[in-house]
Amino acid sequence: MAFPVRTFSMDFPHLHLLLNHFPIIGTMVGVGLFLISFLVKTEEVGRSSLIVFVGMALLTIPAFMTGVGAQEKMVADPSVSNALIQRHEGAAELAVWFMEITGALAVLALWQSARRASPAPWNTSAILVFSLVTVGLMVRTGNTGGEIRHLEVRSAQEGTAAEATMAYFEPSPAKFTRLMVVNKWWWAFMMDLHFVGLVLLIGTIGMLNLRVLGFGKQLPIAPLNKLVPWGIAGFGINVLTGLLAFIGMPTFYTHDIAFVLKIGAILLAVTTMGLFYLTSAFRDCEAVGPGENAPLRARFIAGTSLFLWFAVIVLGRYIQPLQDSIAR
Amino acid sequence: MAVPLFLNTLEQSGLSTWLRESPSVFGFYFILVFHTIGLALVVGPNTAIDLRLLGVAAGIPLPPLRSWFKLMWLGLAINVTSGIFLVLAYPSKAFTNPDFYIKLTLIGFAVWTLRKIKRQVFDDSSLSEAAISARGKMLAVWSLVLWAGVITAGRLLAYTCSYLVYGVPC
Repeated sequence: MAFPVRTFSMDFPHLHLLLNHFPIIGTMVGVGLFLISFLVKTEEVGRSSLIVFVGMALLTIPAFMTGVGAQEKMVADPSVSNALIQRHEGAAELAVWFMEITGALAVLALWQSARRASPAPWNTSAILVFSLVTVGLMVRTGNTGGEIRHLEVRSAQEGTAAEATMAYFEPSPAKFTRLMVVNKWWWAFMMDLHFVGLVLLIGTIGMLNLRVLGFGKQLPIAPLNKLVPWGIAGFGINVLTGLLAFIGMPTFYTHDIAFVLKIGAILLAVTTMGLFYLTSAFRDCEAVGPGENAPLRARFIAGTSLFLWFAVIVLGRYIQPLQDSIAR
Repeated sequence: MAVPLFLNTLEQSGLSTWLRESPSVFGFYFILVFHTIGLALVVGPNTAIDLRLLGVAAGIPLPPLRSWFKLMWLGLAINVTSGIFLVLAYPSKAFTNPDFYIKLTLIGFAVWTLRKIKRQVFDDSSLSEAAISARGKMLAVWSLVLWAGVITAGRLLAYTCSYLVYGVPC
């Protein structure tokens, strides 16, 4: 039963162009800062590079997703080769995972470095490897994307051994999509995990937010923060299962206003969490003991965060009835 | 086994039909939103408390966590209410699905475990931290397993059914 809502229209090609340069250039900037942090031993440079990686991992999500809508618009033009678009999509479907892993490792490193002087050595090495691979894969994604429209940059790189190796690992978009939806129990399992992730996230981060707002005031705030890594893990589960679900039904989600707004709300909610930890809001809260009020700024951030996460839940629930709410 | 006729009567009632067929944004999916928010309010804090009992964030003092039980009971009330409306929308579908009974049973055990946690861990202020956590650990594990089971059984309701409505097999 579809709702009689008006059909929205969205300019996916434009949005895709607006977003898709960030993961490429941004990750390069991140790698640059990361390398500089080895030379000049300033904590700030290292931290900045990690924050850039996390930001790019997040921006990659809408950049990737708007590609589907852009493709639909472009294949209508007979001068555009669908084979080139497929190649670009395959390149993106490989790059996305390395970007998300880099982002996850960067979150871990930020968490580790908040307590110790620097992240664990194994993590530093892992970030170096994954961010470098991500840059390579992102460049390739950008190249194959550019070649769709720009005849003048099309090169004969298909023949090279490196390209053949890459193509071997690259998923075929159609096969990947089929793999996600061919078995309904696999789909049910992913959705199950998506709800487990939701509970972990809202149970821990929601609890911290509520306490900062003044609920259950007899709790000191600082120890609640130790629950947050479990919430971040829940978020990680949901990025994974959410991306897989999107790959399973890309056109379904693309033409759904609830889905588009949900992704927007997620990005804002994470930004709010970033504000909490990166401004002095969190440090102010750490000193708040039993029965005490958190500072106004922290309460404002916590309230916004809580509102946004619940908005994510509500919008997620309306995805199904609001299918086809964005014009094809 | 024949599907009882009263399910058909229930299904033909005005409220059930409206819930099922209304194109209003406040119909079926609105109830479903509340069911999910209730889930977040019950299982979210319960998970956090279970984690604490298992030793995560051991710096959190236990007694003040009591105030979170009010929020969990509120979430449970929201979900019992929204759950009744959801069943009212598709009574034949719910009552002919074995998974529905599994879900209800698991909810029963999970809520029972939550009450046990409240009584054994939080209502006995004479206990030392060590005694509390010895008692609480086993309950916390059961609580996590049972809620995971509830969520799984609940999700599976979307993918399993014998009848969609009375006399209409899936």
